[in-house]
Amino acid sequence: MTGASTWAKELFATPLAALLTLVSGAFMTWLGWLALSWLLFHAVWPWQPAGLCAVRTGLCWPFLFEKTRLILFGTYPFDLQWRALAASLLLLALAALTGLQMIGRTRLRVRAFVVIWVSGLGFAVLLLSGGVLGLSPVPSVFWNGLPILLFLAIAAIAGAFPVGVLLTLARDQGAYPVLRRFATLYIEVARGVPMLTVIFVGVFVLPLMLPPGTYIAPVPAVLIALIFFHGAYFAEDLRGGLQSLSRGQREAARSLGLGYWKTMGLVMLPQAITRSLPSLVNSIIGAYKDTSLVVVVGIHDLISTARMSFNDPGWRSQALEAYILVGLWFFASCAALSAIGRQLQKDRETERGRVSQE
Amino acid sequence: MIPPSPPPPERRRFRVWDAAAAIILLGLAALLVRNILLNMQDAGLHPGFAFLFDEAGFDVSESLIPYSPDDSYARVILTGLINTIVLAAVSLCLATVLGIVGGLVSVGPSSAGRVLASGYVELFRNLPKILVLLVFFVVAVNGLPPVREAVSLGPVQISNRALYLPALEWHPMLWIPILSLPLGAVLALAWRRWAMARFAQTGRPVPIAPVAIGLLAGLPGIAILLFDVPIIPSVPEVQGFDFEGGIRLSLQFAVMAAMLGLYHGAQITEVVRGGIQSVPHGQFEAAHALGLDRLRTMRLIVLPQVLRIVIPPMNNQYVNLIKNTSVGIAVGYSDLMSVVGTVINQTFRPLEMMLVTMGLYLILCLAVTSLLNRWNAALRRREATS
Repeated sequence: MTGASTWAKELFATPLAALLTLVSGAFMTWLGWLALSWLLFHAVWPWQPAGLCAVRTGLCWPFLFEKTRLILFGTYPFDLQWRALAASLLLLALAALTGLQMIGRTRLRVRAFVVIWVSGLGFAVLLLSGGVLGLSPVPSVFWNGLPILLFLAIAAIAGAFPVGVLLTLARDQGAYPVLRRFATLYIEVARGVPMLTVIFVGVFVLPLMLPPGTYIAPVPAVLIALIFFHGAYFAEDLRGGLQSLSRGQREAARSLGLGYWKTMGLVMLPQAITRSLPSLVNSIIGAYKDTSLVVVVGIHDLISTARMSFNDPGWRSQALEAYILVGLWFFASCAALSAIGRQLQKDRETERGRVSQE
Repeated sequence: MIPPSPPPPERRRFRVWDAAAAIILLGLAALLVRNILLNMQDAGLHPGFAFLFDEAGFDVSESLIPYSPDDSYARVILTGLINTIVLAAVSLCLATVLGIVGGLVSVGPSSAGRVLASGYVELFRNLPKILVLLVFFVVAVNGLPPVREAVSLGPVQISNRALYLPALEWHPMLWIPILSLPLGAVLALAWRRWAMARFAQTGRPVPIAPVAIGLLAGLPGIAILLFDVPIIPSVPEVQGFDFEGGIRLSLQFAVMAAMLGLYHGAQITEVVRGGIQSVPHGQFEAAHALGLDRLRTMRLIVLPQVLRIVIPPMNNQYVNLIKNTSVGIAVGYSDLMSVVGTVINQTFRPLEMMLVTMGLYLILCLAVTSLLNRWNAALRRREATS
């Protein structure tokens, strides 16, 4: 009772607070009303005829029952879609494992981790493309929906990480000025242009750069472009971590007789990566969300398959349902990534507290 | 006294290896260029920028400068660039206002407001911008009435093709009040300087804001009366199949501006919230103890400190916003990116076009960054001297 009354007091403590409460309360009520009438009052329920969706303005359940599979897997051959599903689950498992590793729930050795990643990605590609082990081949144009989104996002992030590390190392040394300048220029340019321009370079310019007569499909071309684009962002995050380490670390490693690669690989990079994990997770979330931009060059990720689903005559007015389904997926997956980021931030703060107490 | 010896010069090692690295990089570049030349030769093209002056032959959905399909590729690129800049400028203002309001509400006294603000931030932080854009577009196209039955909000007309705003009938004489604005600004700054000096000398406060506002608003007003500048409002009215008069904002532009404003507004909300929360609570209490009211505390104590913290991340946001205008290609807004997409499809000159496009985006981003950096440096200098 007292809790409720103090709460009410807080909501209307000053004229300003009262005004804010009223305005935002009214706004939220309006949004809630819109949501309720869409979800419940004007909805077409699963047991009602689908034809009703064209007249009613609310959520159309029959559409979701009919089209969710199309939105998830697009034009991947219908009776082979178990492979697309398996590949998606495999990729999700890789992502989940990495998340657990980041927050310290699993403690795999680096080598084991790399082996798991490489074999996992390879196996996912194998499942999607087929052509061996009696799996019938499926060209990459048909890898639609969830699997292509996950594959492009996860493979690009995994590939961009070593690129970022190499760029950071090139930028953070003095022995090779040419390499340092090149890395700096590359990072600044990549961070100053829109991702779409880089995707365009991948699709249109990259094929020109290959020896005459070679062909590269759009999916690998975009993947290469994404790897080099995200690499620049990761490099910037890692540089922050590397610069926050004290000089003494490097000097101590050197005086122990470690060479450059051992100093970096055993002493500097592990600490720098741990320190830059929160900002790396932010960049990863951005990279994951931006992967959906590939629809512009005709790769059918979730957003594009959502478009396919309401392009059927008869389902024209169901665009919102399709997009909200995709939105729910993105919201859930990004929220999971953000949770990892928050956990990392918390770990870091408690660690800092412990260090300052000592 | 023996001066301390200078540190030993860094030994110049690995010069040979550095040269080798440079040669390897150059060799790679040469290989790529060779492949490009060979490939273009196969397609019967010579690399170069002369094609920019050929006739473009395609139309754009909207243009702020006179443009027809007979004009050159260079002109169509300029058209797209101007569309990008206008869109960026409008959404930058929208995002900043939304972000500041959101940030203030999220540290405000009402918990209902705080819930709303954090819901807003979470929603837009976890969705891809292209999805937000497409949802807005679908809702606007399906939810708004056709032109003949446009919704009227006073003089503003909203249809599912475009937004129509009232404007002024253009007349060359309008330059007089427009040019009097910077004059007013200069006079206001001079008044401020004089008033500050006067205050420092006598200790008596001299009004600054009312005089400055009077100068800024009054000068154009006087100019209009003095030169008898024609002020003719132009209100959109139905003429046949479309509205005539006023300003026409295409639905694509409106949806893009709304998406960019809301999407980056959410991120700026977080920036502003972080900035305000980083001001120690003691600062508020000290200001209160000095007898400053809420508004003055904000304006004189909190805001200057927030500004210093907030400028670098804002810089980042503005650059991201400029880059994100390129998403307009997904709804057919004729910005730089979508114009370039069409040009590439027509000419098959991706290399030249991407060099031009990336260069233009880089210049835009660098311009905004250097402007904000300069402001930041000025703020820090002022802080150091006071």
